[in-house]
Amino acid sequence: MKYKIWIGIVALGVFIFAIPQVLEGYSMNVMNVALLFSIVAYGISIMMGMGGQLSFASVSFMGGGAYFIANVCTNRFGINMPTLPALLLTPVVFAVIAFVIGLFLFKLKGTYFTFSTIALVQVAYTFFNNYKPIFGGADGISGIPTLNLFGYKFTSYNKWFYVIVACVIIVAVLVERIRRTQLGRSLASIRDNETAALTLGVNVYMTKVIAFSIAGALAAFAGALWCMHGKFVGADMFNYANAAQFIIMAMLGGVNNTIGIVVGAILVKVLPELLRSLQAYMQLIWGIAIIVLMVFMPSGRAGLYERVREKVGSFIDKNKPGTGKEQPHETSSKA
Amino acid sequence: MKPVLRLDGISKRFGGVVAAKDITFAVLPGEVHGLIGPNGAGKSTLMNIISGIYTPDKGTVYLRERDITKVPSFERARIGIGRTFQTPRFMQRSNIRDNLLMGTDLANQMGYLSSFIGKKGNPFEEELAELMEVAKFTFRWEDNISSLPFGKRKLLEIVRSMLGHPKVMLVDEPAAGLNNKEIEYAMDLLNLAARKRGIGVLLIEHSMDMIMDICDDIVVINFGEVIASGGPEQIASNPLVIEAYLGGDDDAEN
Repeated sequence: MKYKIWIGIVALGVFIFAIPQVLEGYSMNVMNVALLFSIVAYGISIMMGMGGQLSFASVSFMGGGAYFIANVCTNRFGINMPTLPALLLTPVVFAVIAFVIGLFLFKLKGTYFTFSTIALVQVAYTFFNNYKPIFGGADGISGIPTLNLFGYKFTSYNKWFYVIVACVIIVAVLVERIRRTQLGRSLASIRDNETAALTLGVNVYMTKVIAFSIAGALAAFAGALWCMHGKFVGADMFNYANAAQFIIMAMLGGVNNTIGIVVGAILVKVLPELLRSLQAYMQLIWGIAIIVLMVFMPSGRAGLYERVREKVGSFIDKNKPGTGKEQPHETSSKA
Repeated sequence: MKPVLRLDGISKRFGGVVAAKDITFAVLPGEVHGLIGPNGAGKSTLMNIISGIYTPDKGTVYLRERDITKVPSFERARIGIGRTFQTPRFMQRSNIRDNLLMGTDLANQMGYLSSFIGKKGNPFEEELAELMEVAKFTFRWEDNISSLPFGKRKLLEIVRSMLGHPKVMLVDEPAAGLNNKEIEYAMDLLNLAARKRGIGVLLIEHSMDMIMDICDDIVVINFGEVIASGGPEQIASNPLVIEAYLGGDDDAEN
C-alpha cells in the first residue's frame, strides 16, 4: 500500500512540473479549465457517488460563484473587493444559498429531486442570460480582475496552473476526508437504503441538504476561479448541456474515485479539443459514450479496472490448485 | 420494574386494511419479548410504528415513559431504539469496517464536523471482540460486506445494532434463512443483549422453537389485534393461538 502512495506523489510531481513546460497559451487554458471543472465534479461525487442523489444543480452554483465575483470585484455596484477575500468568501456564501435551496428541493425524493434540479438549472440560466443589471445579459460580464495573491498577480495561464492544482489537491483531500468520516458513511447508508439509514440514526433529510450545500460551495468556488481565470463570464457556460457534462466527468472517472474524478474531467475537456474535426458530432459521441459507459462500466473507469483485475484474478485462481473460494476470514485489530 | 418500551392503544389502517387495532403491551429492560402471529398479522407494521417509519392513527409509543409518538425515526434511533431487518440492510458497496462504524457512530453521536476534524469516538474494539466471540465468526475489516454469506450478515446486523447501544432492540425474524448453528449464535447474541446489557429485546420470529426457548413474555397478534399474551407455556396451550396458527375454522373467516 505504501508504494502506491509514493508512486502517486511522484506522478503528481511529474504532472505539476511537466505540464507547464509542455503546454502554453490555448492548450494551457484547456488544461486549467479541465482541472477547475474537476472541482465541480468533486461536488457531484459527494452528491451522487456517496449519497446517490443525482443533481444537475452544480452548474448553476458555479454560475452563481462566477457572477458573484464578477459583481463584487469589478466595481459594478460600487463594491470593489480584493480578489483573494472575494474568492474565499464565495464558497461560504454559496454554501448558505445551496443549503436553503436544498431545504426545499429535498422535500422531493429520487427522480423528482433530480427533475427539480434540472428546473433550477433552467431557471438560473434564464436569469443569467436575460437579466442585465446583475448578470450582464447575453453579453456577459468582462474585465474581471485576475487573482491577486498578496501582490502577486496571476497574469498568464501557466501561472494559474499552480493555483488551480493547489485548489484541486485541497478539494480532493477534503472529499477523501469526508468519504472516510461520519458524513461519508451516513451518505453511503442513504444511498444504499434510506430506511436502514433512518434506523441507524441518520437524519436523512439534513444529511442530503448538507451534501448539497457542500457540492454547491465547491461549484461556486470553481466558478469564482473560472471567471478570474478567463476574465470573463457569460451565461452559455451554465446551461443544461454543461450540467450534463459535469455528470459525465464524475461518472467517467469513477464517481467514488477521488483521483479518477480529475482524470474524468481532463478526458471530457481535452478529448473534444483533440477531436476538433468531429465537433459537429460531439453531442452524438457523448450520447453514445454515456450508454456504453452505463452498460460496460457502471462505476466508471476505476470500476473497469477492478472488473478486469477480478476477471484476471479469478482466471489465475482457477489455474492454481488449492486456492478455492473459501479464504480464511480473520479479524485484524486495526480499525 | 418500569417498562423500557410501552405501546398504548396503537391503531393503524392502510385504506380498508386494519394493520393494528388498539394494541397495548410493554417490554421490560433485560427481557426478550416475543411478538408472534401468522403472516400478515401486522407484526412488521408494528415494528415500523415503533421505529417511526409509520405514524399510528391512534395511540402512543413510550420509550422509558417518554411519549415518542411524534419523534422522527432517526431521533428515535439516537435515543435508543435499535433495529434489524428480515433481510439484513447494509451499505452493500462498502466494506465491513464502514458498516460496523455506522453502529458506533450511532453510539458516539458526535456530529459530522467533529468527525471530520478528527475527533475520535469511544473505542469499541473490545466490545466488538466480545460480540464476535458470541457470533462465532471472524472477518477482515477491508472485505466488502456482500462477501459475507447471508447468515453471517444477519448475525452482523445484530452486532451492529448492539454497537449502537440501544435501550430497545427490535429484531425482525433473526432465524429466517439461518442454519441451526447460526440460529444458536443469534440466540446467544440476543441473550447477551437482554441478560447482560439489559436491553429490552422485541423479537419477531416464526420459529416456535426459538420463541419458546428464549422469550420471557410473548404477545400474539392476528389481524392487527392482540389475541393472547403471557409466558411461553401459557401461549403454547392457548386455544386462540393454536387456532390462529393452524387456521382453525377457515370457512367462518372467509
